[in-house]
Amino acid sequence: MRTRLFCTPVAIAVLLLTGCAMDIVSVKQSPTTLAPAGDPGAPVVLQNDATVSIGTGFPTKLKKGTVWRQIGQIAEGEVFTTRDQVVTVEASNIHEAQPVIHGGNVVGFYLPVERTFTRAKAPVAITFQPPK
Amino acid sequence: MKKSLLVFAFLTSLILLQGCASGPAYAEMASTIPQVPADKGRIYLYRPSAFGAAIQPAVRLDGVEVGTAKSHGFIYVDAAPGSHFIETTTEVSRRLTFLLEKGQTRYVKLSVSMGFAVGHVYPELVDDAVGVKEVAECKYIGTK
Repeated sequence: MRTRLFCTPVAIAVLLLTGCAMDIVSVKQSPTTLAPAGDPGAPVVLQNDATVSIGTGFPTKLKKGTVWRQIGQIAEGEVFTTRDQVVTVEASNIHEAQPVIHGGNVVGFYLPVERTFTRAKAPVAITFQPPK
Repeated sequence: MKKSLLVFAFLTSLILLQGCASGPAYAEMASTIPQVPADKGRIYLYRPSAFGAAIQPAVRLDGVEVGTAKSHGFIYVDAAPGSHFIETTTEVSRRLTFLLEKGQTRYVKLSVSMGFAVGHVYPELVDDAVGVKEVAECKYIGTK
């Protein structure tokens, strides 16, 4: 009886602490170097909504109709930015992010504060077109 | 029994209301807010919801306390262009990293999520249109 009384709170505590530990999730990042574009690239308009996951359970949405410019290049692809929407990647903490495009797909995000790259769980196809 | 319920409801309301901001509404003081200095950017920090009102952690910008996360309250801080972080701490710390450009205004919303023993207040960068609308519904609580 005494053992059971001791085991029950321990089991509950373990369950609760397991839940707590799962709450601390980090964005997986690798250091990278941005080669800035000499001039800001020509504006391009995103033609489709895109939802990009980095595997943290908080996908990042890029909105159709937003205007973007290429600001540079990293080894993983071309880095774009916009003033039309906030772009962040999220785990336990939130980081401002800039999509990295390679071969017509968003392959991940450049984190300008951390100067790192975080890879998308799967590439997401997007289409840019010049503004009309 | 009915009386006890009334007293309980009154006390609960009192506790909840004490957790809410009590400064001037944005509309009352908007005209007194100065222009963003030419060499800086501005960050609005606000908490639009009353959820978890009793939890009011300090809000730090780049490690320096600039205010308190009070329900329905807002503050603004001018900062040099470049990289910044906003952090709040209850039983854990929650951090937002972002860039600020010269002359730019950014909006950081403070929300509450469930925690182990106490809720977590997390800072989140929001679109300008959302920030403008939600700050307008808050009260100025002043910086530290």
